[in-house]
Amino acid sequence: MDRHRMRILGKIGRNTLLAIYAIFALFPLLWMIIITFKSDTEMYTTTFFFKPTLDNYVEVLLKTNYFKAFLDNIIVSSGAVIISVIVGVPAAYALARYNFKRKEDLAFTILSFRFAPEILVILPLFMIYQQLGIYDTYFGLIWVYQLITLPLLIWVLRGYFEDISVEVEQAAQLDGYSWYHVFWKILLPLIKPGLVASALLSFIFAWNSFTFPLLLNGFKIETVTVASLKYIASDTVHYGQMAVASTIAALPEVILALIIQKHLVRGLSFGAVKG
Amino acid sequence: MAHIELDNITKKFNKVTALNNISLEVKDKEFFVLFGPAGAGKTTILKTIAGIEFPNEGLVKIDKEIVNLIEPAKRNVSMVFENYALYPHISVYDNIASPMRSPLYKKDEEFIKKEVYRVASMMKIDHLMDRLPSQLSNGQRQRVALGRCLVREPNVFLMDEPLAHLDAKLRHFMRAELKEMQSSFNTTTIYVTHDYLEALSLGDRIGIINNGAIEQVGTADEVYYTPANEFVARLIGEPEINIFNVDLVNDNGKLKVNMLGQDRLFQLEDEVIGTLAKHDNEIVDLGIRGTNISYSLGKEDDDYIKGIVYSLEPIGNKSVLIVNVNDELIRLIAPNNLQAKLDSEIYIKIDMKNALFFDSEDKTFIIRNNQERLIKGMA
Repeated sequence: MDRHRMRILGKIGRNTLLAIYAIFALFPLLWMIIITFKSDTEMYTTTFFFKPTLDNYVEVLLKTNYFKAFLDNIIVSSGAVIISVIVGVPAAYALARYNFKRKEDLAFTILSFRFAPEILVILPLFMIYQQLGIYDTYFGLIWVYQLITLPLLIWVLRGYFEDISVEVEQAAQLDGYSWYHVFWKILLPLIKPGLVASALLSFIFAWNSFTFPLLLNGFKIETVTVASLKYIASDTVHYGQMAVASTIAALPEVILALIIQKHLVRGLSFGAVKG
Repeated sequence: MAHIELDNITKKFNKVTALNNISLEVKDKEFFVLFGPAGAGKTTILKTIAGIEFPNEGLVKIDKEIVNLIEPAKRNVSMVFENYALYPHISVYDNIASPMRSPLYKKDEEFIKKEVYRVASMMKIDHLMDRLPSQLSNGQRQRVALGRCLVREPNVFLMDEPLAHLDAKLRHFMRAELKEMQSSFNTTTIYVTHDYLEALSLGDRIGIINNGAIEQVGTADEVYYTPANEFVARLIGEPEINIFNVDLVNDNGKLKVNMLGQDRLFQLEDEVIGTLAKHDNEIVDLGIRGTNISYSLGKEDDDYIKGIVYSLEPIGNKSVLIVNVNDELIRLIAPNNLQAKLDSEIYIKIDMKNALFFDSEDKTFIIRNNQERLIKGMA
């Protein structure tokens, strides 16, 4: 009887804690969405009762060039991820499979791209970009985003390739498949969960990047993270408009994550070789 | 259906020499067994033939043609890997069908279905067709791997311990099945194992490998009755062969041996005396298998040697009796009903007709009695 009661108490306790955490995590997002419907005058009230208005949306979406920023962000972020995938998958394969001189040093160097805070390297980068004439270009931003996306992709995928027994590849070769067939038919399906997860994460990091687009872009190209800043005017801060910009900026990430959720399954590679 | 030849193959992994100047010839349609302890280089030989490891030196020939520079896919060899190497993301059916769907060996789906079910029923896995490899036991995975290998008609089957993970009953069944298949398939097979029973029962010829070098190549009879050296003799047979030093003594013009610290001399068979007399060392090693030693609880005649029961271990239908004779442990076969107390006295008799003699320095085989009659067709 006592044990039964303990179990119920345990369940209640667990769920209460989870609920508190959920509120803690989700409330800021909820508050942000609520703010988007508030007028500037009601902004600082903390009650949930207010007169909803769509003024903020009209202001941001129709009267500024927010869509241009949104599009720019899509171009540079997806461009960065696509190039990272094209470069990173073979790089990860090479690091996992082949032995060459200074292999671990190379892998570590790639990882070290993420060590320094962006703000630390931005000044030299700014000058280099000015000299090369790639300041304020799509190419320049996609290139610098490789510092963010490539290390992540390579290090995640290297682990996935290492998990695949080399004998599986050899067996496929003996079955009569060329290396390209082996790659498309055997390797790619096996690294897919890792590829999808790391590409998504890379995309999110690139999408949310702020320092690089702020300082390496001028007027031609603008990302949503930088565009959101514009609602801090000299006289007042338009929190409502800023909230709209942020909410819409978060949408693609949420939608992408939901779409590819079913590919984020692990464990396919287990059980193929002797355990 | 091919003749395989390895010509002075040397393979190094960094500084470790895996294969040291190996030459080997496997005849067309032969069932050739590579047998040796773990790490001897058996798997490396298979991979070298398959083309997935490249020799540092030497030539690989399939049907007299040098294939060193031919891709693995185009050598038309079929291999079972020791760790199965199944494709984890596709079903058992698709795994077995894979070789017949590749661009090189393409067949139509109807034919594939027939063939897949043929090998699957042979391997007794036809009820598992829709499962993924991760949903199978190790024994089932091994049979899928074997099925994927056997579904083709390659130049040569390469099998790396294909029965190692099956339970004893299934292993016996599959061993018989493989032997049967071999005679009907007419395909060259190279089979790696570390189980001497498998090696003796399956192999037309057996190659014994140790430390990347070939110790002996011969038929089952040859390697069992006339092992090339003490290593081969110890590797084959259960319990392990007894090998100990004996002194050759000239007793009034007739060569005899003094062994196991006994006072008397033991007779040698006439056939071996001539060869042993020519041998320049007075000390040789004598090898005698456990089945060729008899025992008695009392001293029946002068040939019986006194010893002490060291251990008695039942192994199913018989027991292994270990007797301590002057600090030399002698292993022999005894029936299960033997009642022998540990440390009690026992007498053993060594059947000199079946004794093998080895050089005590380089451990190579010298002579045994009855050699020509045991090895049919041996030179």
